[in-house]
Amino acid sequence: MDHPRSAFGAPPQGGDPGGPAKPDPRRPLGRALSKGQLIGLAVLLAAACVLPFVVSNYRVFQLTLALVYAIALLGLNMLTGYNGQISLGHGAFYAIGAYVAAILMDKFGVPYWLTIPAAGAVCLVAGFLFGLPALRLEGLYLALATFALGVAMPQILKYKGFEHWTGGVMGIVIVKPEPPQWSGLTQDRWLYFVVLVCLVALFVIAWNLLRGRIGRAMVAIRDQPIAAQAMGVNTAMVKSLTFGVSAMYTGIAGALGAIVIQFVAPDSFTVFLSISLIVGIVVGGLASIPGAIYGALFIQFIPNVADHISKAAPWAIYGIFLLMFMYVMPTGVAGFVRIVGGRLRQARTR
Amino acid sequence: MARLLDVRALHAQYGPTKVLHGMDFGVEEGGITTILGANGAGKTTTLRAVCGMVKTQGEIAFAGTRIDGRATESIVRLGVAHVPDGRGTFVSLSVEENLRLGAHTRSDKAQIALDFERMYGYFPRLKERCRQQAGTLSGGEQQMLAVSRALMLRPRLLLLDEPSFGLAPRIVQELFEIFRVINQTDRVSMLLVEQNAAMALRLADHAYLLETGRVLMSGSAEELGRDESIRRSYLGY
Amino acid sequence: MDVLLHQILSGLATGGIYASVALALVMIYQATHLVNFAQGELAMFATYIAWSLVQAGVPYWAAFFLTVAIAFALGVVIERVLVQPVENAPILSVVIVFIALLVILNSLAGWIFTYTIKPFPSPFPSAPLFGNTYVTSHELGSIGITLAVLALVFVFFRFTPLGLAMRAAAQNPVSSRLVGIRVGWMLALGWGLAAAIGAVAGIMVAPTVFLEPNMMSGILLYAFAAALLGGIDSPGGAVLGGFIVGVLENVVGSIIGTELKLTVALVLIVGVLVIRPSGLFGKVLVTRV
Repeated sequence: MDHPRSAFGAPPQGGDPGGPAKPDPRRPLGRALSKGQLIGLAVLLAAACVLPFVVSNYRVFQLTLALVYAIALLGLNMLTGYNGQISLGHGAFYAIGAYVAAILMDKFGVPYWLTIPAAGAVCLVAGFLFGLPALRLEGLYLALATFALGVAMPQILKYKGFEHWTGGVMGIVIVKPEPPQWSGLTQDRWLYFVVLVCLVALFVIAWNLLRGRIGRAMVAIRDQPIAAQAMGVNTAMVKSLTFGVSAMYTGIAGALGAIVIQFVAPDSFTVFLSISLIVGIVVGGLASIPGAIYGALFIQFIPNVADHISKAAPWAIYGIFLLMFMYVMPTGVAGFVRIVGGRLRQARTR
Repeated sequence: MARLLDVRALHAQYGPTKVLHGMDFGVEEGGITTILGANGAGKTTTLRAVCGMVKTQGEIAFAGTRIDGRATESIVRLGVAHVPDGRGTFVSLSVEENLRLGAHTRSDKAQIALDFERMYGYFPRLKERCRQQAGTLSGGEQQMLAVSRALMLRPRLLLLDEPSFGLAPRIVQELFEIFRVINQTDRVSMLLVEQNAAMALRLADHAYLLETGRVLMSGSAEELGRDESIRRSYLGY
Repeated sequence: MDVLLHQILSGLATGGIYASVALALVMIYQATHLVNFAQGELAMFATYIAWSLVQAGVPYWAAFFLTVAIAFALGVVIERVLVQPVENAPILSVVIVFIALLVILNSLAGWIFTYTIKPFPSPFPSAPLFGNTYVTSHELGSIGITLAVLALVFVFFRFTPLGLAMRAAAQNPVSSRLVGIRVGWMLALGWGLAAAIGAVAGIMVAPTVFLEPNMMSGILLYAFAAALLGGIDSPGGAVLGGFIVGVLENVVGSIIGTELKLTVALVLIVGVLVIRPSGLFGKVLVTRV
């Protein structure tokens, strides 16, 4: 196969903003958070904890889903944003996580909180296994293979042979978990906090992973795969592991999503879910952890707004935003925030 | 006699790397000019600059019209043919298809057919192999093909990038003889970039000596050929 | 034996569709080293245009040729406006542009024409030829039309000056410029042709699968498999791959049931990419490190 193009192009040369986001050399991943940033995060977390008490139950439900998507997007971003492996089929791992949770709860009476790590484990293995043959596929071909995975998934889920487990076309209905007595919370608020806790934990883990040796190896493989290999990075292992971890995150999100929505069915997991995830990371910002949140808010709330116009409208908007962000703002909202933040800082120090 | 190609203050760069630093040179109508210099002096870049294949600053005028900043294909359509280094043959296409592509911009079918015959006349080996895939030809044959393709354009100016490269001396002799014939009978002006300075100076009327992107010396080919110190230091013989 | 013959012939009919879409994919790949993820949606959208024309009273064949012409124009415009700006951008950017195109075309079709499934007319009689039990007239006609289109494309590329210029531009854009070929426009023409071929495929398959915005996604997958099987840079290979995949799909489908068709395509795709990425007839290229 002829590969005249690398997945991401060369790393930035002196402030070159073109193409999707590459880590800003002025802000290396490895640096710890400044005091100001820590305070900012604490404020944000406090706000997030207060929020469910000041909005309606339905909004809480929507916000919970947004948090779920944020976890899924972080997973995809690890693979595509930081490691440069394009996946157009990550919805499949979301689906696997969701079905693992649903089947465990429905068929085996497993408590909902146990299904989350179970889904994570299954997807870690599934992702790693899919990542192995995918190792040999570059950019476009990997995109092709994952696209095929995304398109084929609903059919696999509908397969009559699995019907006993998956419920076939009708899917599985899950009982909404009851909040424990001591919390005094409503169901929706309880689930919100469950997801929030998972999100914070997963984000912290990801942040640590990405700023450490493995994170640097991932980025090195993305930007200069041959040089990385020549320098002793075990490219194959890092790439497969990244696939696995990325699938794990998205699978956990899928499980959480299933619990929140209380329902899984094959047609919820078409290739368009995978495309939504791509939209999320592009709009939010590739290779960016906060980008996962921006992107999640986008893909959660745009359909709510645009659905009124037409069933097709949200997708038209997604498409237009994808183009806009690709041509105009390749670093996504996170990049935009970074640039604005940088200018504000500059203005203050003058 | 007005210059066919007139280049002033030419700068050229590949990305951030500057390669040519303010060159002045030209080709007379009907003349053969050669640009000589060591490896890395910028000879190939000079030809590419004329063709609009690299980013340039400065003035390039062809037959009185400015061509700097124009797209390669529109410069070619004005009558400038370039035989690049590496020959640039369409390796998966046949010899005949390569020649036909040379005449892509022309519509005079009868003349094109005649030109085919002419090329086969200059290079009988091409006729033998006309249906063969161009990539399977030997180095010398590919060079002949590359030159013929350029000539199929019926250019006013022919740019040649190291036509002797990798060829046996006898073939180089034949090739340069054909250049002379083309120049004299078809009035094709030529800008020849060469490392084989001896052969180049015998063919050309005028010569420039290039060193790291600057014109070091210019003069008639005879003068440069005769000058002992230049010959020894720069031309290696 | 009867059943097998019927399946093979039926498979050839769908194979012709796959071959056409695969050829469109390969044409764009050869020129740009890019896989057009939106190829299916382009074909689907063109088919809707044909449908609208027929609904408006335009006779079938007039609508057919008009649609092909419109699809051609659409392909050219898309290349010049959307694809050309990202010509030299990293792969991810280009993939995202294609996905955006896919999504926009799909949603536009849903918006304008709604998601209700629509029947699409076939120009061929509903009675099978000579009353045979092996192949419907539409299947036969479909094979005929796709073969005719493929033959026309072959003749165009092999024997016309423009076809030669397009081949040259795809293989060696730098040298093409040196003979005066406007490479950018050759790419646009390539896209136009690919869109036109896709339109024919869509129009031929719509009577069988019924017209709805998602009708081409499975077909696109099979076309990918066919193109990869034949060799992503070999047009002849893509065509052969298409027919092979079509027959394979039918024969395998009769053995393991039709519910896992897409999975079969997925397995084929991953299999070819891992075992023999250059396919049956593609070139194995070694990149210099």
